[in-house]
Amino acid sequence: MGIYEISLGTVICINIILAVGLNMITGFCGQISLGHAAFYGVGAYTAAITAKAGLPLPLALLSGLILTGLVGIIVGLTSLRVREDFLAITTMGVGFLFLGIVRQQEALGGELGVSAIPAHGMGKMGFFLFVLLLAALATAFSLVIKRSWMGFAFDAVADDEDTARLLSVDVPAYKLAAFALGTALAGLAGGLYAYFARLIVPDDFGFITSITILSMVAVGGIGSVFGVLISTVILTLMPEFFRFVSDYKLLIYGALLFAVMRFAPDGLAGFARDIIRRFHAKGDGG
Amino acid sequence: MGTLLQVSGVTVRFGGVIALNDVSFKVEQGEFISLIGPNGAGKTTLLRVITGTVAPQSARVSLSGRDVTRLPTNRRARLGLAMTHQIVRPFHSMTVLDNVALAAGHHRIDRVLLAMGSFDRSEERRRAGELLETVGIAELSEKSVVGQPLGVLKRLEVARALALEPKLLLLDEPLAGLNHVEAARLADTVVDINRKGMTVVMIEHNLGEVLRISQRLVVLDNGSKIGDGNPEEVMRDPAVRAAYIGKEKHHAAP
Amino acid sequence: MLYLELFIQGLIYGSMYAIIAVGLTLVYGLLRILHVAHAGLFALGGYLGLLLTNATGSLILATPAAAAAVGFVGMIIYRLCYQPILDRPPYVPLIASIGLFIAMEEIYRLIFGPYGLTYLDPPLQSQITIVGINLRTAEVTMVVVSVFLLGALSYLSQKTRIGVAWRATVDDPQIAASYGVDAVKVRYLNFFIGSGLAAVGGIFVSLLSNLVEPTMGGVPSYKALAIIVLGGLGNVTGTLIASLVLGVIEAFGTIYVGDLLDRDAIAFAFLIFVLMLRPTGLFSGR
Repeated sequence: MGIYEISLGTVICINIILAVGLNMITGFCGQISLGHAAFYGVGAYTAAITAKAGLPLPLALLSGLILTGLVGIIVGLTSLRVREDFLAITTMGVGFLFLGIVRQQEALGGELGVSAIPAHGMGKMGFFLFVLLLAALATAFSLVIKRSWMGFAFDAVADDEDTARLLSVDVPAYKLAAFALGTALAGLAGGLYAYFARLIVPDDFGFITSITILSMVAVGGIGSVFGVLISTVILTLMPEFFRFVSDYKLLIYGALLFAVMRFAPDGLAGFARDIIRRFHAKGDGG
Repeated sequence: MGTLLQVSGVTVRFGGVIALNDVSFKVEQGEFISLIGPNGAGKTTLLRVITGTVAPQSARVSLSGRDVTRLPTNRRARLGLAMTHQIVRPFHSMTVLDNVALAAGHHRIDRVLLAMGSFDRSEERRRAGELLETVGIAELSEKSVVGQPLGVLKRLEVARALALEPKLLLLDEPLAGLNHVEAARLADTVVDINRKGMTVVMIEHNLGEVLRISQRLVVLDNGSKIGDGNPEEVMRDPAVRAAYIGKEKHHAAP
Repeated sequence: MLYLELFIQGLIYGSMYAIIAVGLTLVYGLLRILHVAHAGLFALGGYLGLLLTNATGSLILATPAAAAAVGFVGMIIYRLCYQPILDRPPYVPLIASIGLFIAMEEIYRLIFGPYGLTYLDPPLQSQITIVGINLRTAEVTMVVVSVFLLGALSYLSQKTRIGVAWRATVDDPQIAASYGVDAVKVRYLNFFIGSGLAAVGGIFVSLLSNLVEPTMGGVPSYKALAIIVLGGLGNVTGTLIASLVLGVIEAFGTIYVGDLLDRDAIAFAFLIFVLMLRPTGLFSGR
């Protein structure tokens, strides 16, 4: 595997951690979030700054993860006050707010961001395997959540939160849990990104990034872990395949996003389910 | 036997309209009460105040002697309160069985962190199956909720409420939209549940069934309580008759 | 004096926001969709207005022509993009709209270049002095035209049959339909007017900075989304008031919290603050 492929693989795994986390918030628990990149950013900045201050990698990553989870809970509190469309705009606002604050703080490098982030010391291959392991753990974790009673409660909250309350589900607690878990994963991804890129700027964590992550979830099929996994790989690789027409990649991206929502809103997972169903129907009939 | 539910001084205002005006009543353990009154009298609103879905201007609600006025809905559910909706609200993303199994697992989802670590749904699925038997829709267990007829969904609501193992069952027009046969059958199921010890408060317009199965009637009209007592006496009360006649001729007892 | 100047600046920006936000809230009120692609129509208006003005030398001819053209594009977008997915969960049209917007921005970039276009002979650039404050004619014209257009809209919605039909459909589609109101015609009209207004907004912004560039739709439209939430989703009057309030708050905000937050984030900080106090916005819907 060449250096290029290793880097690509690393980025894919970081994206998987991001998408799987957002899938928990939006897919499992039904809380739409258009500002996931802000949590990615909090994790990245935290890890970058603590690493530069001398903290070893595991602690830097951990501090990024924990701090982001806490911020995530605070943002999650807003989801207790507002719903659906209001929540979508609020989370979008959180994303812009994060950027707005970070851009003005000299301590965080302002517009120029944070550079000279220390090396991870694992070598490119080693770091890739490390990130791959974390991505696998994140995916496994989200599958575990999905099968658990927490996942069952999430289903109810996403479906009809008022009725869930009547059935004794502590809806606010579950929403906060979803935010805490999903954003902590984003924080972890951010820390990994900081070590990977060794330079982070505010624009890395803007609205377009939030939308990119959301599209990985939506194209995969909101709520489906495997769908999200596959779509993340595809969407991350896509700009690479289209490198020869790299000028068009954002256009193709937007068009793809539009097309999937317009023609196959259940994403890859829905598409796969349709095929399986049709296969079974043929089997029964023919 | 004690007072299971005590509701005092409930006043609810929506914008400029007074939906409930200083309504009070109490329910003894084991009773079967029907809450009746013309459309718009405030019956559903009263149930929603009891469950905590609607915040009243003033009220005192207590369950088994414990003041629950400040508790959120899910805590009241844990203290033994269950409600079915007038317009059914099943979870569309789940099967018939899972709708009930979720409710049956209420002790598992109590603590968020514990819920994260528990996976076994077999016990709850089994109990759900039993409850679906009780209401007579067990054969539809694995079917999706989507596309089921109203009669099935109404019974699903009841099974789901029962899965909470409540002390007090609130039913909001469980028979509405059902044909004669289905209504009688569901009414009998509810009576049976009551006979086995469940306290029931039911809103119903179907006066035929109401008079047949209730022990006590509470009558609301325009947000105020105008009757409370045994069915024959209440229906003879001129104030009650006046409230109905002229508003709901077509719902009068056959 | 400074305060008055800030206030006037605020109102000027506010009127620009109003023209964009009204179209958004019109769509939301009718269809419950967050029409992010509106931003693309705003930019399209800017482009067409500039091109037509450069070609004909007359802003007065170009503006209505551009507005009408963009109005038609808006109607097409409704028919091809939104109408088929109205019954899907809300995130579907939202993400589809976002994909469409990204694609539109890219199309402008690919056709017209990333650096944008300028006026050959920028109109309305002269200075005039009102109550001792120096303003450009373009700014004053923008306010005047906005007031005129929005006033005309208000008049139409109350005094003409189609206007009343529109309001009825927003309030209660079923009753309106039973009175014979053609819901489809109302929707087309809705998109035509909203998109036309956005186009006018785009033209004015291009006059202020003598530039149209592919990403010009982004920031004003994100703010417009915040505004329509503040104004109470679907509430046109509320949106107008919120637009002006936001313009003024931004003008003063940059002075007072400019160290903490950059200008664009002020809108969202304000939004989040308000929503926490009043989860349904400053004014409730309709």
